[in-house]
Amino acid sequence: MASAISVVIDGKEVVTQPGKTIIQAAMDSGLYIPYLCYYPGMKPFGACRMCVVEVENARGTPASCTTPVADGMVVHTNTPQIQDLRKGITELIISEHPHGCLTCHRTNIDGADLCGPEDICQRHVSVTDRCVACPKNERCELKDTTIFVGTGLTTPLTYKYRELPVVTQDPFYDMDYNLCIVCGRCVRACEEIRGDSAITFTERSGISLVGPAHGTSLLESGCEFCGSCIDVCPVGALVESPYKWEKAVDTVSTTCPQCPVGCQLKLEVNRRGRVIRAIPDLEAEANRGQACFKGKFGLDFVNSRSRLRNPLIRRNGVLEEASWEEAIALVAEKLGEYKGDSFAAIASYRGTNEESYLVQKFARTVMGTNNVDHSSNLKPELARPLQDALGFQAATNPVWDLDNAGCVLTVSTNVTEEHNVAAVPVKRAVQNGAKLVVIDPREVELTRYATVWVRPRPGTEATLLGGMLRVISDEVLEDQDFIRERCENLDGLKNSLWKFDLSRVEVVTGVPQEDIRNAARTFAGNGPAAILYALDTVPASEREACVNAMVDLALLTGNVGRPHSGLYPLRPGTNDQGSWDVGCVPDLLPGYRPVDDAGARSVLGEAWGSELPSGAGIGVLDAFQAATDGRVKAMMVIGDSASYHSGELGDIMSAAGNLDFLVVQDTFLTGLAQAADVVLPSGTFAEKEGTYTNLERRVQPLRKVLEVRNSNAMPDWWIVCEIAKAMGAQGFDYHCPAHVLDEISRVVPMYAGVSYQRLLAKEPVLQPVTMPAYPLPSQLLPTTGGQNAGVQWPCASADDDGTAILYGDQFAAGMAHFIPLEFREAPAMPTSDDYPLLLLPGRVLHQSDRELDIVLVGQKNRIQSEETLCIHPSDASTLNVADGDMVEVVSARENLFARASLTEQNLPGTVSVTYLFGNLVTQLESSEDPDAMSHVPGLPLTPVRLAKTEA
Amino acid sequence: MPNYEELHQEAQTRLLELEGGGKPWIRVGSAICCEAAGADETLKAIHAELETRGIEANVNIVGCLGLCYAAPLVDLQKPGGSRVFYGNVTPEKAAELVESCVAGDDLRPDWALAYTGRVTLDGIPRLDDLPVWNKQVRIALRNCGHIDPLDIYQYIAQGGYAALDKAVNRMTPEEVLKEVQDSGLRGRGGAAFPTGTKWGFLARSPGPVKYILCNCEEGDPGAYNDKGILESDPHSLIEGTILAGYATGSSNGVVFIRHGHEGPIHRTERAIEQAYELGLLGDNILGSDFSFHVEVSLTGDSYVAGEETALMESIEGNRAMPRARPPFPAASGVWRLPSNINNIKSLAYVSEIVSRGGEWFAGIGTEGSKGTAILCLSGHIKRPGMYEIPMGLTIRDVLEEVGGGVSPGERIKVLQTGGPLGGVLGDEAFDVRIDFDEMSRASAILGSGGIIVGNETVDVVDLIRVLIAFNQYESCGKCFPCRLGNTHMLEILERIYEHEARPADLQLMERIGNNMRMGSLCGHGQLGYNPVSSALKYFGEDFAAHMEEGRSPTGQSMTPVFTPQRTRSRWTSAQPLELRF
Repeated sequence: MASAISVVIDGKEVVTQPGKTIIQAAMDSGLYIPYLCYYPGMKPFGACRMCVVEVENARGTPASCTTPVADGMVVHTNTPQIQDLRKGITELIISEHPHGCLTCHRTNIDGADLCGPEDICQRHVSVTDRCVACPKNERCELKDTTIFVGTGLTTPLTYKYRELPVVTQDPFYDMDYNLCIVCGRCVRACEEIRGDSAITFTERSGISLVGPAHGTSLLESGCEFCGSCIDVCPVGALVESPYKWEKAVDTVSTTCPQCPVGCQLKLEVNRRGRVIRAIPDLEAEANRGQACFKGKFGLDFVNSRSRLRNPLIRRNGVLEEASWEEAIALVAEKLGEYKGDSFAAIASYRGTNEESYLVQKFARTVMGTNNVDHSSNLKPELARPLQDALGFQAATNPVWDLDNAGCVLTVSTNVTEEHNVAAVPVKRAVQNGAKLVVIDPREVELTRYATVWVRPRPGTEATLLGGMLRVISDEVLEDQDFIRERCENLDGLKNSLWKFDLSRVEVVTGVPQEDIRNAARTFAGNGPAAILYALDTVPASEREACVNAMVDLALLTGNVGRPHSGLYPLRPGTNDQGSWDVGCVPDLLPGYRPVDDAGARSVLGEAWGSELPSGAGIGVLDAFQAATDGRVKAMMVIGDSASYHSGELGDIMSAAGNLDFLVVQDTFLTGLAQAADVVLPSGTFAEKEGTYTNLERRVQPLRKVLEVRNSNAMPDWWIVCEIAKAMGAQGFDYHCPAHVLDEISRVVPMYAGVSYQRLLAKEPVLQPVTMPAYPLPSQLLPTTGGQNAGVQWPCASADDDGTAILYGDQFAAGMAHFIPLEFREAPAMPTSDDYPLLLLPGRVLHQSDRELDIVLVGQKNRIQSEETLCIHPSDASTLNVADGDMVEVVSARENLFARASLTEQNLPGTVSVTYLFGNLVTQLESSEDPDAMSHVPGLPLTPVRLAKTEA
Repeated sequence: MPNYEELHQEAQTRLLELEGGGKPWIRVGSAICCEAAGADETLKAIHAELETRGIEANVNIVGCLGLCYAAPLVDLQKPGGSRVFYGNVTPEKAAELVESCVAGDDLRPDWALAYTGRVTLDGIPRLDDLPVWNKQVRIALRNCGHIDPLDIYQYIAQGGYAALDKAVNRMTPEEVLKEVQDSGLRGRGGAAFPTGTKWGFLARSPGPVKYILCNCEEGDPGAYNDKGILESDPHSLIEGTILAGYATGSSNGVVFIRHGHEGPIHRTERAIEQAYELGLLGDNILGSDFSFHVEVSLTGDSYVAGEETALMESIEGNRAMPRARPPFPAASGVWRLPSNINNIKSLAYVSEIVSRGGEWFAGIGTEGSKGTAILCLSGHIKRPGMYEIPMGLTIRDVLEEVGGGVSPGERIKVLQTGGPLGGVLGDEAFDVRIDFDEMSRASAILGSGGIIVGNETVDVVDLIRVLIAFNQYESCGKCFPCRLGNTHMLEILERIYEHEARPADLQLMERIGNNMRMGSLCGHGQLGYNPVSSALKYFGEDFAAHMEEGRSPTGQSMTPVFTPQRTRSRWTSAQPLELRF
């Protein structure tokens, strides 16, 4: 940090750092300078000229958002001349911005605003009618700023309504261009922050505006529907179309339940107790003001009318409503008959740490079995080698650390969709000149940004990574100081690398040697470098080898324990990290202690007052097969999960039918719930407290945003405790999740310093909001009860700030351990005689070579496109398919019609199609499923066969 | 790689071949004005006539001699004879000229404009004696109209690239910089910032990659001198650019030309190619250690792209919107590398300054404004054209002696100077000297040198309305005061013009204008009120006629209001935004 300098702003001495602008220095010290185009976190733009100031001994009236501070600078922000200039500019703005909100007698200039959508005007005119269709009039920055600067409303300028179109056709977004003041925040958010450039400036001079880039629809322009532009819009030009006219009566900060990035959202609640909007928190470390289409628009399931209202018990084959007492008693009685390994419990991937902890405690102490897991744990190998080689099964660095990485390597992960916000710093890094190496047989969104994209034959990623290690070793690109000081067993690794002759690697992976060299040199030569991986296309047998190779790659190049580097295993479930931490897995007790470790069993057994079972249990991967086999006879399943629908777990419905007793806890009557003997209605994330641990080990709290309405649903932690207590168990008398977390912090060493009190930055008692005396963007407005803060484990005590970057000083075992690699031939893929080809899906918007048309269906835009199937000429000739033929792609689950395109870019034996991201969004939007977003499938490889069709 | 002596020798040989090779030499003006007047057809007619008659002649194009009132301009030089200029040469006239002058011996003094050369011709005035010529001091325009812009050897034969040879082989960059600083040269793009000082900033910025940007956006109505130089003598710019690069330790140059100006674009590209071929550009220029590269970059259709930071955005392929300063270009310019932006005219002086020394240049002009002014006269004047006059002449001198004044019985009412952001001047200002500072005190700017002359048929309110319409249309739309202020100002001016003014309109325009001046991000908005304020200063009565008497000051009927496409009035319900769904 550069040395502090001092400037005087309006007579107040402000200490700040060089490089900051005047407005930043002022805002840091609590001074307000009016602004409209400036936005915290974006580069200076200097368009609105509202933030002009006078600087002594400087010419003119510079904009404070673009003028850097200098030591000894004396700034005046409020001279009469400046005030008059600001008034003049607001006069100009409102001369073409509908401003009924300002002239109405119900706008109280002194503060309290009597007017908002849904309020009934004293003149008996619906406010919605009168306020010229502005959906933002109680949180509009322009209105607040105009009032703040005291603009007279008797401006002699001619007001003109621009009669621009109001575009409501796009999914999730409504755009009223008449309200646009062309501040460019949305354009800059899309370009600078998100790296997408889906919207841009259009036209110029008096009619300059914003709009979709090169197109007429957001679907066509590459929009990810992240909502970033909406969040920064100061006026009502860009708004969320759902609940557009609803006014919030309360705003509460909580954690997004959609994925493990753990975005902090400010949820707005209306008078009828519905969650109407989600605004990502600009000051939260996990997401820095960003969200994605799932968090921004996918939380409406909370408000669904089809939620379960009462417990259901199957009587005479039919699920009938029952009381909680009845249901709990029945579950307790039934489960009592299946104690031991004939019982299995699967916790929700959205379960809080407390709930996952209670489920495993229930399974282990009450049911006496290790058959416990969480529903998204389909790739248990993903992080295990990290523990062996480094110390912890978790990402080494924070997500936003990627912002300044020199190179990012992604291995078989579709980050943009599955962990959307984690892709934001990656794309930003690329914009700032970082290199991006993508290893993926599929075409994912990030391949558009890639410096190097290599497409190995599916399942041969480990061998490819071995080849890269060989190149780094041969060309002496490794970080020798780091290896000497911090690693051991380099010889072991080097000895194993001699088998990775590049010509052999080329034969196995199908990747040309030069591409392998290029990828290796790019990664090794542009440190600090980080690795993100999900291994979506890697079969289970190869995953461990793959992770081993990545650990070696990071160690060999010195990219562990340093800022902007490291390894990021991207698990799919919201709270997978937390579930692992608290031992909701079949082979580990809380704190990653193996169930076969007698010492650990006795320590925890003592803490829990119970004997603990040994021997690894059955996890989610095997549970349904075990149910089919009869090894498991009773199950407790909490929550629905994408993994139940993707087919990866086999036919779960017939497995469920084979069970003696199935109890499901869920918010909706899902497919699995319909097969259950007892269904217990559980509350959503918005209605409970607890903590989530995100993929960067950040423990963040959930806050109770709403009370459960019209339903007797209860939080899952309460249900589990009630069942346990009904079964006579001790140690389940918790009065709130904070109470459970206290116990977790005692038994899980990494959580020792974590408590609910410290996670809530302010008083946990919800305080009414005190609005600031000056206008602020919605992302910065205070929320009820204040912000949520997080803490990254390991956190040893209440005074410990947590650990942002693991292994900064040393590894768990002192030295990191290189893992010798094994040369692996291409594994057998799940193809068969019936389905001989492997379908590689991709999901990219805007491919220039595709037929793509935006059509209006009803009131909405839809993408109508002809699918193109890329196929290698050799496969095509075998199947007698010519370029341009219509083919039917048949898989075990679904069929698809597409036009064949012969290309040698595809590996023989694979065919690939591209789904459009925008298509996904329109499908989600029109879905009948109340929680469609959580069922967004990944991009699994599917065995298929092709048949030529006439159509 | 040839050294400069060899190149010069070769050029001289070629020139001698042209002049004394026994063939007549015919040169046809082919810059914008000549082309517009039909030079193409004239050239074709000459070729056709020569062919018909079986006469061998050297025929080539030349750039702009500046006598645009006489376009298309053709000159003839018979072997060993003087060079005779003919004005307004239509194809028919051209054929006749070939017949009588080339085939025959009649030089047609009745058609001839002037001659230049050693052989005295009776009945034809010498070029240097013409009033339009004798006040001029041609430095930047020294070769314009004399050499073939497509032939680098003609430039070298006139001493071209000697300054470059002197600089890179016999001077240090500091010495070159010092000559430019001593010359007192001020930027000719409008802001008149001392060029040497500006180069000094860049020289101190860290390298190795630094940019010299040459600005030929030139969108001002009534200004064509940048394009004129590029079309007539592109090498003087290339040489100036390389010298600027040498003085500042830069590595790259970009000549930024507005797209659609085919002549300047084509000729500059050709000149760059030739310079590379002869080792005057590229690595180790003329055998020295200095390497420099130049390319051409084109703008989109935008006036503001001529603003220096918008120009950098445009070169990078972005929308041409000005950036906020600081950082200043010398620290972080195009591609975030140190850059320096110079007008074409400023750079065209540089080779002469380096050859003849800064002191020589400083001896021309006035105390504060050294050298010459390159003016483009147009409008209601006898001799519109591109002239280079020493600083310090009064405007009246220029108008009446160089420009030839107006027809008898007419009176010059108004001058519009410095492009649409400059002001208008009334006759009480005509005795102002042409000098950056004096002009600016008279609330007009010299700007890029365009002077549009209006006689008494001009309604100043109408003129100002058109200027503001241009400014409004060309606002980039980024900063609020300019985007919205210009729109409102245009609306008010239209109201005034249509005799529908409201009593407070003048105060309202002043308020908007002051907000634009104080609040705008770049000069486009900051200077946007200039036309109105200067018009009110000199031509209050024109406004009064419209506002108070409901009549036009010229007594003419109103022309229909010209509504530019890009005002908010385009959005009417009759013309909805076209959206394809």
